[in-house]
Amino acid sequence: MTPKKRYLLISLVAALAGAAWWLAPFGLEKGGALSPSTVYTRSAETGGTEKPCPDEHPEWRQAQTIDGVSIDEALSCDPDNPYDIAAAVKGTNNISMATLMQTRMAQDAVVKKDDLDGDGDPDVIEIKLEVVELNGASPDGEFLINTFDIAPGIKPGLWVFAPKSQGMALKNFFTMQANPILRAPSPTIRVEQGDTVKLTLENIHYLPHTIHLHGVDHPFMTAAGEDNDGMEEHAVFPGASHTYEMKPRHTGTMLYHCHVQTAQHMMMGLSGIFVVEENKPNNWVQTFNIGAGQVRHPSVKVKEGYSREFDLLYQALDKKLSAVIQNANDARLISKRMSREYNITESHENYFLLNGHSFPYTVRDGLIAAGENENIKLRIANAQRSPMALHIHGHKVTVTATDGVERPEAVRETRDVLDIAPAQRIDVDLKTVNDGLHSYGPGVWMFHDHASNGETTDGMEPGGNISLIGYQAYLDDKGMPKMHDEMLDVAFDKNYYAKKQPPWAQGDFTEMLGEPGRIEPNILKLAAFGLSCGGAFGLFVYLIFTGYRRRQ
Amino acid sequence: MMKSRMTAISAGLLLAVGLLPQANAAMMHHQGMMMDETGMIMNANPDRLPRDCPQISETVELTIRAGREHAKKFPGKMFAYDQQEWNVKPCAKINITFINDDHVRHQMMIHGLPGYLYPEGMLHLELFGHGQLKASMILPSRKKTYLVHCELPQHQEKGMKAQLKVDGGDGDLPSIPGLTGPVRADVYPVNWSRQHIGMVLFSILIGSVVPFLFRKWIR
Repeated sequence: MTPKKRYLLISLVAALAGAAWWLAPFGLEKGGALSPSTVYTRSAETGGTEKPCPDEHPEWRQAQTIDGVSIDEALSCDPDNPYDIAAAVKGTNNISMATLMQTRMAQDAVVKKDDLDGDGDPDVIEIKLEVVELNGASPDGEFLINTFDIAPGIKPGLWVFAPKSQGMALKNFFTMQANPILRAPSPTIRVEQGDTVKLTLENIHYLPHTIHLHGVDHPFMTAAGEDNDGMEEHAVFPGASHTYEMKPRHTGTMLYHCHVQTAQHMMMGLSGIFVVEENKPNNWVQTFNIGAGQVRHPSVKVKEGYSREFDLLYQALDKKLSAVIQNANDARLISKRMSREYNITESHENYFLLNGHSFPYTVRDGLIAAGENENIKLRIANAQRSPMALHIHGHKVTVTATDGVERPEAVRETRDVLDIAPAQRIDVDLKTVNDGLHSYGPGVWMFHDHASNGETTDGMEPGGNISLIGYQAYLDDKGMPKMHDEMLDVAFDKNYYAKKQPPWAQGDFTEMLGEPGRIEPNILKLAAFGLSCGGAFGLFVYLIFTGYRRRQ
Repeated sequence: MMKSRMTAISAGLLLAVGLLPQANAAMMHHQGMMMDETGMIMNANPDRLPRDCPQISETVELTIRAGREHAKKFPGKMFAYDQQEWNVKPCAKINITFINDDHVRHQMMIHGLPGYLYPEGMLHLELFGHGQLKASMILPSRKKTYLVHCELPQHQEKGMKAQLKVDGGDGDLPSIPGLTGPVRADVYPVNWSRQHIGMVLFSILIGSVVPFLFRKWIR
């Protein structure tokens, strides 16, 4: 090879390397005069959407009487099973076998007996709760078992107190779904002032738990001298049972929760509302309010002043904590990751629940259906880790009690943002009187935590604890809000909460606000880049090789 | 009390509900199910022969205990039966005594049974707390492995799973504690020490010297 030829080839290597540099492809490129076209992502075809109202039990909405228990009408799409309500009012020991079989409750889930004061209602109440794991793991494969969706496609691992049940925990043989009473939240428990209450925790779960009666009048020790405050050092271990005793003298909206590793166990869902109702004659209270929130058999006192009553429990979950029970089966690994590796001081709340559901599922069962000129009682508890600023659209409401203690008339505040500290409860009067203050008139009015994390499901809005106050004129015959089809259509789609679905990509705006496509790689440019790279490298090696041989 | 009552009733239940008025008063019936405040039995079958069985081949008395203490020998499990496998002959009759050593609910369900004898293909025994019950069943002649488990949330998952084999069974089920591996196994760190690392390095050294020692043969 002549030196001239040699220099020419070296220049060629440099030129090819330069070309490769210039042609190098990247992951991101600038758009030109026309940016990439919109990609169609509407996921209806891929099976992500579901019916806003499945309408499984339309007959459950009607006012009805079961085993002599009158059950109020519930207008929402997916109200509670009225047989559960009958069992909760009369006691599982006092209803017919046919009614009991319509529930999933055990025969001793709530035993009511002995009218001690002779006023026509039972005064000895024995309640049994179990701790149930929802969306848990299985060593038998990559699936979750006893599933409960808090929102479309969202199944965080969680724990609930559930009325003692019997039979299958799954809904049926063809699904991994939990049966309907195994759901979030833990049920509201209602007793009458002065009742002799025995609350038994039968721990069927694989970790220790307790029940702490937060704000409920209870002695420090049981009659037998055992723990009665549900503290950590008196945990009820797996397979064991413990009975807490009380005879509450004070009425009001209280709380119960697990007090073992409270930070984690409350974030896993182990909290519920505990209501002590005023002692009245013939006052058969609804001992369990499972799920939807509306109290369909209100106490005598509540009926005197209100047309409807709702229990609203707000909870929040951390997706990392929830995943701990889904990523292992060994109880020691779960315990280690939950107690020692998980650090609540470095955690976030990701899912926000109102009565166990996030929007849009809150609309199915947590909707507050109302008529005009009503006085509605709301019992609200914040079982989140963070404080709340609950905002109700279109209304100003009056706080009548805080932490179960009545406020004197003079200091009752009427507000549209309610600050509720963690573990705090408030009783609220919601008046649907169109006077420009208490209500701005009929409509479908939203209510949600205005500390804005709470409006989202892992950051996706609308989600979280958003729910609706729906005036009857604005609800269809299935209890769903009229004129919201498009919004509900978007939200009842698991791809939306999986963040695969752009909002607003509808109608005229499909192109303008849809998913931007990617830039297609230029094949000629790719080939040219490859050829330059290869040429430069090949020539370079050739030159070195020939140079080495010449020196030899 | 429960034990004797349930035994008496299970014998007569499927034949005639009306024949045992005293039992009817004590327990409630609902389609092949018996229940009282201590437990329930669904689909017990003490006397109806499967179609493929001309007669009962053997009668097995089986005591099955359930509870936390039986899981002690299985690290990381929480609930278990006292045994994880039972073997019976084709057409065997089993008289089960199911004992719950815990103070919470436990179940013993046997799945995969013929539906014409056992609705939903299942025998379902459940104790609502500490105690025991008795129930009988007759198995078909087919060589088969039946799933035995407690269906309470996380009980099978945390160890309460076993298998019943007829005629040696037709295989093993996964995730039975101490018996078969899980489908989805947990991952644990390996306890590497300096000695283990040294041993690996030493083995590599020996391995690389070997070809030189035997170079004559290699040539």
